[in-house]
Amino acid sequence: MQSNLPPRVENKKSRDKVMTAKEAVSRFVRDGDMMLSGLQHSSVALVHEIARQGMTDLTLLLDSDSGLTAPLLGLGRVKKIITAYCGGGNAGNNYVFRRAAEQKIPREVEMEFYSNYGIALMALAGSMNVPFLPTRSMIGSSIAEQNPRIRVIDDPYGGGTPVALVPAARPDVCIIHVHRADKLGNLQFFGHFGNTDIFVRSAKYVIASCEELVTTDEIRRTPNQTIIPQYNVDAVVEAPFGAHWFASNYYYHNDFPFGAYTLEKWRTEEGFREWCDKYIFGVEDWDGYCRTVGYERLWKLYHAEKRFLAYGEVR
Amino acid sequence: MKKYAKDYTLNELLVVTTAKVIHDYETLIAGVGIPTLAASLAGITHAKNIVVTTEWGTVNPTPRRLMFSVTDTTVNERAVALPGSQVIMNDMQNGRLDLGVIGGAQVDRYGNVNSTMILDRETGGLKTMLPGSGGANDIATSAKRTIIIMRSTRRCFVEKVDYITSPGYLDGPGCREKYGMPGGGPEIVISAEGTFRFDPETKEMYLATYHPGVSVEEIREMVPWDLKVSPDVRETEPPTEEEIEILRLLDPSGMYVGSGKKILKEGEQGNFGVFLQNMLDSFEPMGRFVKRYD
Repeated sequence: MQSNLPPRVENKKSRDKVMTAKEAVSRFVRDGDMMLSGLQHSSVALVHEIARQGMTDLTLLLDSDSGLTAPLLGLGRVKKIITAYCGGGNAGNNYVFRRAAEQKIPREVEMEFYSNYGIALMALAGSMNVPFLPTRSMIGSSIAEQNPRIRVIDDPYGGGTPVALVPAARPDVCIIHVHRADKLGNLQFFGHFGNTDIFVRSAKYVIASCEELVTTDEIRRTPNQTIIPQYNVDAVVEAPFGAHWFASNYYYHNDFPFGAYTLEKWRTEEGFREWCDKYIFGVEDWDGYCRTVGYERLWKLYHAEKRFLAYGEVR
Repeated sequence: MKKYAKDYTLNELLVVTTAKVIHDYETLIAGVGIPTLAASLAGITHAKNIVVTTEWGTVNPTPRRLMFSVTDTTVNERAVALPGSQVIMNDMQNGRLDLGVIGGAQVDRYGNVNSTMILDRETGGLKTMLPGSGGANDIATSAKRTIIIMRSTRRCFVEKVDYITSPGYLDGPGCREKYGMPGGGPEIVISAEGTFRFDPETKEMYLATYHPGVSVEEIREMVPWDLKVSPDVRETEPPTEEEIEILRLLDPSGMYVGSGKKILKEGEQGNFGVFLQNMLDSFEPMGRFVKRYD
């Protein structure tokens, strides 16, 4: 299926990058890609679209993952994971990851481990166009000992202590979910952003889904929030609630019970299949997912958030 | 005269014991769950001037509801700064963070922690895959001192960990210095059975306190090496009534300190009603506490 897709063409200079998730994924994601995604600004909407379109043999680059990319992993679309953490956080165990690692189900997946800081520096090196960056993390641990891509060298300036080098990451595609974007691709983040500021800059192609599309004049009101300027971005996809069950600062809280329920369903292969059939393959698009979860629930989460947080106010 | 609580859970004891290790005016890096609860408790009781950072790049969040994950809106609620994850890690590597709290599935006599994988004793192959380091390795390497919380009972103490995710003192004295680690290493291990500290000379773990209802002998049997015992060994101080009262306000549903997580998992799509109500209900009582930073 993927072999029919035309070669990718950069879209960073376009004056209108707004498109559907379907179009964005078919234009900018290919089989065999290294795909980067962070724990913050998780685009569940784009992961589901990639699952529907069937891209496979992906290498996932993640700082930490609490279940975002598990659908791709459990469907056998992943050949390698480069990560610091792959679990379920407080919501439970990530059995999709465990099955892949422990039983090679549904396929053998190569795994390469770093720490969170290590992954951030790999992307930072990529975004700086330098081949590596040094850190004091990971030295002396099994992470550095068992990962041949981490090189421990003596300080070349004679400082007397060793440093660990991590290789630059240049992922093919980065997918994120942001709060506001304009059609030029200026991306505004509200609240904390983990490593997303670095990640986006390291990738060749960038697809951003967003809570709200706004005018460029609206963006100009708060340019501090434009963490990613337009020249980094290839596609903008409007997808309200696009991070669900994860959080979106100032929009909605993590839907923890849905996450805990989902991880519990994924405990078995059958449960995982059923979940994917219902929430990914049983719907056309992200709006279909939201309808299946229930918009009433999503709007309740949204309104609850307004009680606690409003941008620029201390509530 | 302190009034000790009669009823408390093991996790409540762990939170209270962790909070006592936090000194006033320290800058912390705390994971979401027991570490953030302990930091909140310390901030309310004896350490009002601490600064709490999280590894996802937030400083002093003071939410009026429970934190569930490091990416949550709560983790930046009422924060004073949001520098980003890599910048917090830079600051830590540069010696700005005093105290980190980590956990894991295995710990050995030098305080090395494994949260990556458990190997099969016979074949040496992979038995159980764990989530991995996250930021734990970075914290163990660079925070000035670390607290290690081991919640799983019994088998978590091992002669040698299967995988060193987070370095303690590695093979003993001098190792951290040889590798140029900015941080000083683990100060204390808080387990389900007691608390353990490290000999300043040999870097070996010794038993400092045993939890109420657990004996020194039981702990020595559980640990696979010849565990040294402090000459001043005593019972772990139990939580006071006040501490338990505060904890039940901070975690009203018992998500971390009780059985609240089970309730939230119930039913098709989880128990959304209880989850939402708990969140909204915590606004008023928690609002009183967050004022302490103003």
